[in-house]
Amino acid sequence: MKKVLTTLFIVFLFTFTFGVKIGITQIVEHPALNKIYQGVIDYLEESGVDFEYEHQSAQGSFQNAITIANKFKTDVDIIVAIATPSAQAAATEIKDKPVVFSAVTDPISAGLIPKFGKNPGNVVGVSDMVPVETHVNLMRTIFPDAKNLAILYNTGEANSVFLADQTKKFAPQLGFNVIEITGTNANELVTSLNAQANRIDVAYLYTDNLVASSAEILGQVFEKNKIPVVAGDIDIARKTSVLGFGFDYYQVGIETGKIVLDLINGIKPNEIESRIVGADALTFYINLDRAQTLDVNIPQQFLDIADEIEGIL
Amino acid sequence: MDLVGILEQGLIASLVAMGVFISFRVIDLPDLTPDGSYVLGGAVTVAFMYAGLPWIICMLLGGLMAGFFGIITALIHNKLKVNSLLASILVMTMLYSINIRVMNGPNVSVPKEITAQQEAQYTEKTKLDDILGMSSLKENQSNLQINETKKTLSPFRENSGYNSTILIGSVVFVSALLTIIFLRTELGIALRGYGGNKAGIKNLGMNPEIMSIIGLLLGNFFAGLSGSLFSMYGGFSDVNMGQGIVVISLAAVILGEIIFGKLNLFYNMLCPIIGAVIYQFLLALAMRYGYIIGFQSSDMKLITALFIILVIGLRRVEFKKWLSLKTSE
Repeated sequence: MKKVLTTLFIVFLFTFTFGVKIGITQIVEHPALNKIYQGVIDYLEESGVDFEYEHQSAQGSFQNAITIANKFKTDVDIIVAIATPSAQAAATEIKDKPVVFSAVTDPISAGLIPKFGKNPGNVVGVSDMVPVETHVNLMRTIFPDAKNLAILYNTGEANSVFLADQTKKFAPQLGFNVIEITGTNANELVTSLNAQANRIDVAYLYTDNLVASSAEILGQVFEKNKIPVVAGDIDIARKTSVLGFGFDYYQVGIETGKIVLDLINGIKPNEIESRIVGADALTFYINLDRAQTLDVNIPQQFLDIADEIEGIL
Repeated sequence: MDLVGILEQGLIASLVAMGVFISFRVIDLPDLTPDGSYVLGGAVTVAFMYAGLPWIICMLLGGLMAGFFGIITALIHNKLKVNSLLASILVMTMLYSINIRVMNGPNVSVPKEITAQQEAQYTEKTKLDDILGMSSLKENQSNLQINETKKTLSPFRENSGYNSTILIGSVVFVSALLTIIFLRTELGIALRGYGGNKAGIKNLGMNPEIMSIIGLLLGNFFAGLSGSLFSMYGGFSDVNMGQGIVVISLAAVILGEIIFGKLNLFYNMLCPIIGAVIYQFLLALAMRYGYIIGFQSSDMKLITALFIILVIGLRRVEFKKWLSLKTSE
């Protein structure tokens, strides 16, 4: 009887072996990053491929990120690594399986790939870089007299420092004077903002994890000081801004899922292009209530192409 | 499960655990500097790798710089007469900014073989560009900059000619051996004496301040060495990678002590090494099978802290009584 049962069990195991196993590693639990994870899974489930997945978060510990990468090296077929440190850990540890990075703003400086496009090796993915140049031009157009442009970010976040450098490159060309408001935690950031609030003509927020998590209180400070805000991230825009132009992280997840699907279908990582999330995933957000309060005039042509408008004309 | 990988990570962590062992157990000065000096070790190493120094020199420089900040902690503790914990928290806070300076940013990757680099930029046309009249402004960048500078590559990369396990193992072995030898010298014995009785050293005509300087220098040197190995092994150094490293190392030391007890110096030196490897192994087990009991990776810190409290508590007689719920009547 035992033998029969064992045999049955083994047969059962063989009949229910799944398709591809995907390991998803992310550095912290965070709304934006979780949306990416959700996007990847939803996209793959809709495409109807046979797959199973495992999701591990390193809880902010870099040693854990490497432990997870080590685990995935033996347990899964395709690795999806969300955010810079997790991607760096996975790309270093794993050489013989495809590693798909996501939400790494500058994968080149992070040492993941030498250039966008096709690269030799097993690492490919999507960058969540925002069009800084477009943002700066937008601010110049809407706020023609603004002089002091404030950028808020966490100095401990590689992605944000990169975008800050981009801003400092483009903004002065259009006559802005860039004020950097930085901190390493919510408290420092708000203090720094309060200290300089009276000098700011317009504030520019982008995809920074610290700004995202303290968006509520930042929004209150901006409102109190009558500072108009333009954001490069839709979630942050909803809480703080007059205008927002960025992508929903769920879309970044979908873009990442497309690469994973290609890999499942047998395309090699060196035949897939690493790319920045496409312009069609960008959402344009306008908040008319805030515009009215702050006396900001938004030309009709912008209203015509907005994807999301809050408030009444 | 990649047992080799777990062993390698455990051995890298065992160096910090050795440093924590020296500061907490040998000289009995609680020290949180490793939370910052661990990162400094990695940061300095990667910075010098870009300068093209041999990796072993980079690693030692990383360790020495970290050790230097241990001296600063000791000086604050001695000269300003503040508690060593507060002194080390101050130095750790300092190091956050210093590390960003050293790495020239919050995160830096170890030099790679492929040196072609492009400046990343958003070049795709967005729907706002036409209205803003900037469609012609976008520079289309595809120029590759070939970096001709001589850089050191990580000894842990594939085809480097080194076996990574042996490499890490030998660093740990040499460190442990030298420490044991040092602790047997006259100075080393004085150091252990200082840990046992801080005032008693004075009666022997020795300066206790020098003892604390040497102890914290050593402890942070090992922390820096560990951070240095970790950054070469992981391929990057990040300003946040030292968070909570002291607590984890302390758990490793205590794990080791449970296994070996307090026998003699030689076995005591094994505590942090074996403890760190076991801790890493338990972590991997928890990640792999933890979901069965509803465990998630964020619970690891809670369990680590509870474990330390329990073990320290078990040494106290009152706690044992309280556990067994016996009233003293």
